[in-house]
Amino acid sequence: MQENVTRAVVFTLLLCLNIRLLNGESPPGKPVIFKCSSPEKETFTCWWKPGANGGLPTNYTLTYYKEGEDTIYECPDYNTSGPNSCYFSKKFTSLWSVYIIRVYATNKMGISASDERLVDVAYIVEPNPPKNVTLEIQQPEDGKPYLWIKWVPPTLADTASGWLLLQYEVRLKHEKAVEWEIYFAGQQTNFKVLSFYPGYKYLVHVRCKPDHGLWSKWSEEHSIEIPSDLNMNDETTWIFVAILSAVICLVMVWAVAFKGYRMMTCILPPVPGPKIKGFDTRLLETGKTEEFLTAFGCQGFPPTSDCEDLLVEFLEVNDSEDQQLMPSFSKKYPGQGVKFRHPDRDNDSGHGSCDSPSLLSEKCGGPWANPRTFHIPKVIEKLENLEANITCTWDPLNISTEGKIFNFHTNGSRSSTWPLPQPSQHKPRSPYHSTAEVCKLPMGPKAALATVLDKSVKDALKFSKSIEIGGEEKAVKKMEVESFPAKTEQDTAWLLPQEKTPFIPEKTLDYVEIHKVNKDGALSLTPKQKNSIDQTEKPQASEISKEYVKVVRVTDNNILVLVPDPRAQNKEAPRSLQQNQAEKDTSCFTATPSNCRLHLGGSDYLDPASLTHSFHGQFE
Amino acid sequence: MDGKRQGSLLLLLLMSNLLLCKNVASQPMCPSGSSCRVSLRDLFERAIILSHYIHSLSSELSQEFDAQYSQGPEFFTQAMSMCHTASLSTPAGKEQAHQIHQKDFVILVIHLLRSWTEPLSHLIIEANHLPKAPDTLIAKAMEIQEQNQRLLEGVKKISKLVDPEIIDNGDYSVWLGLPSLQSNDLESRLFAYHNEFRCLRRDTHKVDNYLKFLKCQIAYDGSC
Repeated sequence: MQENVTRAVVFTLLLCLNIRLLNGESPPGKPVIFKCSSPEKETFTCWWKPGANGGLPTNYTLTYYKEGEDTIYECPDYNTSGPNSCYFSKKFTSLWSVYIIRVYATNKMGISASDERLVDVAYIVEPNPPKNVTLEIQQPEDGKPYLWIKWVPPTLADTASGWLLLQYEVRLKHEKAVEWEIYFAGQQTNFKVLSFYPGYKYLVHVRCKPDHGLWSKWSEEHSIEIPSDLNMNDETTWIFVAILSAVICLVMVWAVAFKGYRMMTCILPPVPGPKIKGFDTRLLETGKTEEFLTAFGCQGFPPTSDCEDLLVEFLEVNDSEDQQLMPSFSKKYPGQGVKFRHPDRDNDSGHGSCDSPSLLSEKCGGPWANPRTFHIPKVIEKLENLEANITCTWDPLNISTEGKIFNFHTNGSRSSTWPLPQPSQHKPRSPYHSTAEVCKLPMGPKAALATVLDKSVKDALKFSKSIEIGGEEKAVKKMEVESFPAKTEQDTAWLLPQEKTPFIPEKTLDYVEIHKVNKDGALSLTPKQKNSIDQTEKPQASEISKEYVKVVRVTDNNILVLVPDPRAQNKEAPRSLQQNQAEKDTSCFTATPSNCRLHLGGSDYLDPASLTHSFHGQFE
Repeated sequence: MDGKRQGSLLLLLLMSNLLLCKNVASQPMCPSGSSCRVSLRDLFERAIILSHYIHSLSSELSQEFDAQYSQGPEFFTQAMSMCHTASLSTPAGKEQAHQIHQKDFVILVIHLLRSWTEPLSHLIIEANHLPKAPDTLIAKAMEIQEQNQRLLEGVKKISKLVDPEIIDNGDYSVWLGLPSLQSNDLESRLFAYHNEFRCLRRDTHKVDNYLKFLKCQIAYDGSC
């Protein structure tokens, strides 16, 4: 019985429900609170979205409670903010406390509750857009025109009291543009736009944001038509400036292009290269030595027997590391690998191994002991190509007592094979470019020449007019040595072997005087009478004196100033007669071209061997 | 008669001098120290820059922690608990802010700043024991701590200028949250950290808001 009743009730209920369902009625769907925001940090509003209403009128209620409290409150105002919203006025708004809010949808069929939403009002501030946006074109007298945008903060925001701090942003574009230009305006309520195109219509929006909140929506669109005839002064000015500078540039380019050379010569005068009168560099390059030589008045190379009178004394020079070696045969000078031995007059090699640029001291005690041997040290240059007749007119060789010996600078600290008869304590590195170097002088353009001789040497080099060899048609060529690098006076040394071995203190040095200069410009040197000079009128290969003389410098008249060993010179002092009294210790000689035909190996020295060959025929 | 008059005049002069002296003494134009040179506006500007920066860092810190250590949606919702500075009665709206005396307001700010000195140092130390290498979090916390000290000094200077006789009795809210940070249960520990960072974020926002409000009220006479 009971069962029947209950069954009937349930059945009825289900039937009713069925009927209702068939009618489309259901409990409401779950509402969703989709947004809560505060426009001015003093009130806030929450909006929800209703769910399905189930076909029945549905009531929505919003309830909340605050953190730490148990009391549940209901929404104070459902209307102010529109439908499906709840507005919390100042009275009900507390910053920095969390609201837990929930919305209930109620209808006849049931109730649905939304999820809880946690809200801290301080973090949901989203102001309204700025208001009263105005656009103006301003044209100041002294400046470019600009577009001036002004606005005011949204109504509710209280920026004056400092409760709310707003920052603004502006965006604009002209009608046809695709993208907006967005500018941040900070906390100011105006903005100047400087770059725009006249003749277009521009659209402007403004929005704002609190310091720790969310951006507002963009304000309404405001537009402004920019007049086409707006004078954008700056552009005109810049165009004018650009044209002017272009013109100036063109003028300068033209000037440089056409007059560039002259200007450059004015500004930077070229350094004159070495010139030798009568010397044609082109002949050199073509390799036609004959013509070359004839240009110099040389009669050919090697010198013929006519030139018997030509005595060319080779310099045998022993270089040593320490140039000071030269003067001392005594133990005073540190033997720098050079042994000074008693010159052996008979030993006349003067060539061969001793000619190598390497230190000969060990090997060749002899050769340079021979006063009669003149060896010309090797020279590193391309002199072999040069058959130029190096003519150095020279005054009678004067070997003065005072030896200021200039050392020709050699390329390196190559030990010279020729010790210097050097009294002074200069430090000639390698004095023995010497003859070779001098010989190079007329070779002219070769830079080596220039590098070798000292300026002073250059000055001293002269061609004496006095030396006119009879029968010689060609005047002694003046040798102009140009552009000698200025070096210290000690840079170069120049030795002439003398009859006497300079290394023997007892030996006196001889003056060498120019015997004659043959038509080829070859020099014959004759030693002046000396005590112990073994003189040979013609320097022979086998008898080449080994006395040394250093070329001190080249005088103005192109006279080579040779300096003998000072010791020897002491004795000779009275005898020395200089053409140029001004020059002390000057002696001069010229080497025949043959002398200067030096094999230039890797050394700075002339290779006497090469010379002796050539002279063998000349000198008996 | 003359003597009496003179005597009374002298007395009068003496009294007036004393009064004047007292007035002068009680109102020093500028207390000793270099802060006197910097005007109130500049001090407020500097303080606001610091407070703004501190709050930005705190927001980042809190959000990064939640992102890194959350173990599910709404995981930290249930973690809410009271902040240790809740006992401090701070204005919760503009009207309430208007009602507080300026002097007291400044003291309140100092109180708030001082309340976080100790918790920050503990947070930095204990955070090293968090599981997932919280180096950036610790770095941010250290930066907040450093800037907080500077801000405290700055607001103290402001208080001296606002009212030279201001009495700062050194109050601050005591923090008792250390045991929670050292809890064995990871979840409790995470909740504790979440809460601390949440409270830090809130309090730094308060300080920032108050200082910006006070700047306009004090340095610009209520109208920025």
